[in-house]
Amino acid sequence: MVQGFKRYVEMAVCGFWSPVFSLVALGVLAAFYFSALGAAWAVTGEFTRWGGHFLHWVGFDTNASGYLQLIHFTDSPLTRVDGVMVIGMFAGAFISALLGQNVKLRFPSKRRILQALAGGILAGFGTRLAMGCNLAALFTGIPQFSFHTWLFTLGTIVGTYFGVKLSLLSWMQGKPKLVAAEQAVVSDIKPSAYYRYQPYLGGILLAACLVFVFAEFKASYPFKLLLAICFGFGFGFLIQKGQVCFTSAFRDLWLTGRSTMAKALIWGIAVQTLITAYYLMQGMAPNVIWWAGPAALVGGILFGIGIVVAGGCETGWMYRAVEGQVQFWFVGLGNIIGATILVLAWDGGVYQSFIEPFPRINLAQELGFPGAILATAILLAGLYFWADWRQKHKKGFLYRRDA
Amino acid sequence: MTSPRKVDYVLDLRGEPCPYPVVFSLETLRKLKKGEVLEILADCPQSFRALPEEVTKAGFKVLEKPQKSGPTLHFFVEA
Repeated sequence: MVQGFKRYVEMAVCGFWSPVFSLVALGVLAAFYFSALGAAWAVTGEFTRWGGHFLHWVGFDTNASGYLQLIHFTDSPLTRVDGVMVIGMFAGAFISALLGQNVKLRFPSKRRILQALAGGILAGFGTRLAMGCNLAALFTGIPQFSFHTWLFTLGTIVGTYFGVKLSLLSWMQGKPKLVAAEQAVVSDIKPSAYYRYQPYLGGILLAACLVFVFAEFKASYPFKLLLAICFGFGFGFLIQKGQVCFTSAFRDLWLTGRSTMAKALIWGIAVQTLITAYYLMQGMAPNVIWWAGPAALVGGILFGIGIVVAGGCETGWMYRAVEGQVQFWFVGLGNIIGATILVLAWDGGVYQSFIEPFPRINLAQELGFPGAILATAILLAGLYFWADWRQKHKKGFLYRRDA
Repeated sequence: MTSPRKVDYVLDLRGEPCPYPVVFSLETLRKLKKGEVLEILADCPQSFRALPEEVTKAGFKVLEKPQKSGPTLHFFVEA
């Protein structure tokens, strides 16, 4: 019994958590984040502001940029809610990775670095064109009943299809090395001390974080920012423990018909929608009702292609980067570059042609709350059954190629 | 990781990110003769769950639970 309990705790601290548990927990946390801070959990807006700091530094007039004004480009990352939340995410993901002995510098081939950069730029540009990423235009946007998120999701489904096709081309894929067992050198029979001590280091850092939060709380650091850091920590911890990958949710459906991550994602959105609806009905204002036009759809397509080629999306790169996966440092860099390119293109015609003429549609206003909830339920159920069908019938490029 | 079983081939996918561990594993397993055992090494944490699921679905046999030593994952699959 004691043994069983000990093993259970060990699994919880050091092992990976199930995707369904992690995504439902993220959904609940995201809904509370919205209720506490009045904003959807999102990260790409902050990445774009980092790009804004760079533009400002090279002498660009950031006050004249319509896009940077739109996303409230002010102050510094340390005084913005999104800014400190993102820092909390990195900390949470890093500590979670340490607890599971998963921090290791992994160096990819040059080919993968190019993929990461190109895919990252495409995804960064696409998400900001659509006014959100897998979070604000999907995971946390659908629960706010903004119709643009439906277009973005559809775009992502289409985009990931082409992304998978691209990433299976032989020049993209490369060749692995297969060796006969007697010639293989598999040296690491026991994890070296470097890995065995990681959980202890994780525990120490966790304690340090708690001390920091407590001390800042006493020192009357703005409560809102402190709250954002703590939420961010929770988000980061959960995405690493659950290996939550929005890319995999879509990509696997096209690749092999694997629906594990897609179904978990749908459960997370469903739970979050109900809690968010409660707060919206209490009179809270949604904050991500954006233009439902071609930009959301095209943005989704570019995003879908980009994330599959790069290997991860705007949230996926964050925990993989702190796990030491060097490839994802380049995905993150690509995302920031892509978003910055959009900032520069925004006032040069993108806004006037593709954004402004289209309405912002709040489904809760159009259909009332019961109607909006029902519509969302139908959308999610449709996606769920489609995913399940692909899983059951082994739909996917890897099976087609075999036949 | 020491394993008493007979292993015919080793596929080292350390450093490869998703989805390539799954893609390469399936492609390799299809080239092996039936009954041959492949040891797969990976260090992409996603593979821990995805790889056994995918090779099982494709009709191959996962011989034991994936072993994790530090960040490295070992899988033993029979073609």
